[in-house]
Amino acid sequence: MNLFQIALNNLRRRKVKMIFLMLGLVVGVSTVVGFLNIIQAMHLELGDRIDEFGANAIILPRSEGMEMHYSSTVVSDLTFDVEKLTIEDIPKIYDSSVQEYINIVSPKLVGAVDAGNQKALIVGVEGRQEFIQKPWFSLQQQANLEPGESVGDLALLDIPEDGIVVGSSAATTLGVAVGEQLIINNRPFQVFGILNQLGSEEDGLIYANLEVVQDLLNRPQELSMIEISAYCNACPIEEIAMGLEDALPNSRVIPMRQAALFREETIEQFSVFGYALSGMVLLIAALVVLTTMLSSVNERTREIGIFRAIGFRRSDILKIIFMEAGMISILGGLVGFFSGSFAAMYAGPYLAQLQGAIPMQFQLLLPAILLSTGLTMLVSVYPAMKAAQLDPAEALRFI
Amino acid sequence: MSEIMISLRDIKKVYKSMGDEVEAIKAVTLDIEKGESVSVMGQSGSGKSTLLSIIGALNPPTSGIIEIDGIDIYKLSQEKRADFRREYLGFVFQQFQLIPYLTALENAMLPLTTTKRSSKEKREMAVESLNRVGLADKMKRLPNQLSGGEQERVAIARAIVNAPPLILADEPTGSLDTKTGDEIMELFQQLNQEGLTILMVTHNPENTRYMGRTIMMKDGRLSMEQDDLVQVVSNKRQ
Repeated sequence: MNLFQIALNNLRRRKVKMIFLMLGLVVGVSTVVGFLNIIQAMHLELGDRIDEFGANAIILPRSEGMEMHYSSTVVSDLTFDVEKLTIEDIPKIYDSSVQEYINIVSPKLVGAVDAGNQKALIVGVEGRQEFIQKPWFSLQQQANLEPGESVGDLALLDIPEDGIVVGSSAATTLGVAVGEQLIINNRPFQVFGILNQLGSEEDGLIYANLEVVQDLLNRPQELSMIEISAYCNACPIEEIAMGLEDALPNSRVIPMRQAALFREETIEQFSVFGYALSGMVLLIAALVVLTTMLSSVNERTREIGIFRAIGFRRSDILKIIFMEAGMISILGGLVGFFSGSFAAMYAGPYLAQLQGAIPMQFQLLLPAILLSTGLTMLVSVYPAMKAAQLDPAEALRFI
Repeated sequence: MSEIMISLRDIKKVYKSMGDEVEAIKAVTLDIEKGESVSVMGQSGSGKSTLLSIIGALNPPTSGIIEIDGIDIYKLSQEKRADFRREYLGFVFQQFQLIPYLTALENAMLPLTTTKRSSKEKREMAVESLNRVGLADKMKRLPNQLSGGEQERVAIARAIVNAPPLILADEPTGSLDTKTGDEIMELFQQLNQEGLTILMVTHNPENTRYMGRTIMMKDGRLSMEQDDLVQVVSNKRQ
């Protein structure tokens, strides 16, 4: 028999109290583990989603000339381009030194046209690339719907060759509705759809197929810019920009930091909330452990008195209490890790509105156990000291 | 020439309570020789349990000197005094005071827990100790599976497991019926005959007939010794 067996036997005897104590730890540890899992998954998924949703970089022709604005980005006035981007530059992007990061390449040509009796900006796009990259684009009206059919966002992916999609404010300005014809630079187009209001410059644009617009503007093969979406979570966006500039010497690449910043801010806010909540739960868990340990020591006053009377040192009493705390905390850490991981796995997608699964992160197992053990040991110091300093004569009611 | 096991010199113990001072032990001087068996009798509150706790290295006196086997026990540090209790003293407490979640064998082994003996040696010593008190067949039972007399025997086995020279017993038969109490007292008598010094606190006059000497305590003082106890104890040990 040794001190460990005494501690173990005591735990077995006081099952209910020890389970209660362990539950306090489990709740604390599982909250932390759950949040860490969710935050990690958010990093991954939000990163992926933003990467899918928007461009990480915009490639513009190297130019010196007049400028005009497109979607918060300055683009070159086409008349004064020194260099030109062309459709032949696209394969160079896929062959660049940063090819492994490249997800979506969306080339476009922007130009001024006569639409009806007015001037308007038209954007030639490759529909699939453009609207996959910008899934926030949606149609409020769509032409050629059969009875019973409703507007489908996926319809954007297949704009007919002679069709155009018109931004909400452009539709109002031009006075066009879906299904109607609009003459652009003397060429008839059918209004295939009208976009929902976005609250940005895109509301004033007309979208058409890239090749059609190149032909319409008499600028075959030419591009105004190329929007790039990269596959990455913490994108080395500066590195990607440099790689692209190397591949396309006739261009300049503007890294879009907003997406990364937005992602960081969102996760940061959720992390702060998660850590604050975890901290509070851990504090409550610590109080539960403290009160349970104290009550256990009080209940065992006489027993500790016996130990002391028959020759146990104060340090032996401390060891017994800390061994008990250690065993419970290791078990609490283990159970807390798994319950937190399972909670994140099943409840996390709803809580954080994540689409993907949250995998179990076994690298958190040891930290979870260390957290549980550290917390328990910390709050066990006072009860253990109290137990060790019990006066055996008083404990045995000799006084 | 006999050797002194317990030497008390002018022991006083004063408790402070709510600003008042209560003198529980008043200038007690006493010698108990090695191999003696001594019972301390007195009414509740006479100070006999306090005296036992002082001798048991559990409760420092307010003044006076206590030596056990020549060791001034209250000059030892707290931890050394714990070691002293383990090596020199065997306690038999009132109401057995067994650890409820340990078996009879584990309870008997308890004082050996913190020693450096091997597990096998500890077990053998505990088995031997339980053999001596006649409980070899009930070693694996928990205290609540034993009768009062059996629990008392386990408590005695625990007290003698590491062969201490001195046994201190506080009302060892207080929770037992007369027959079982007599059996336990016979056991103490036997241990004394084997050479152990025994100091027992009791308020049962019947127990004194198993002990070599009886000391009376009243109001914190020793009032009389065995020779004066003819009228108290009718049936002296043969």
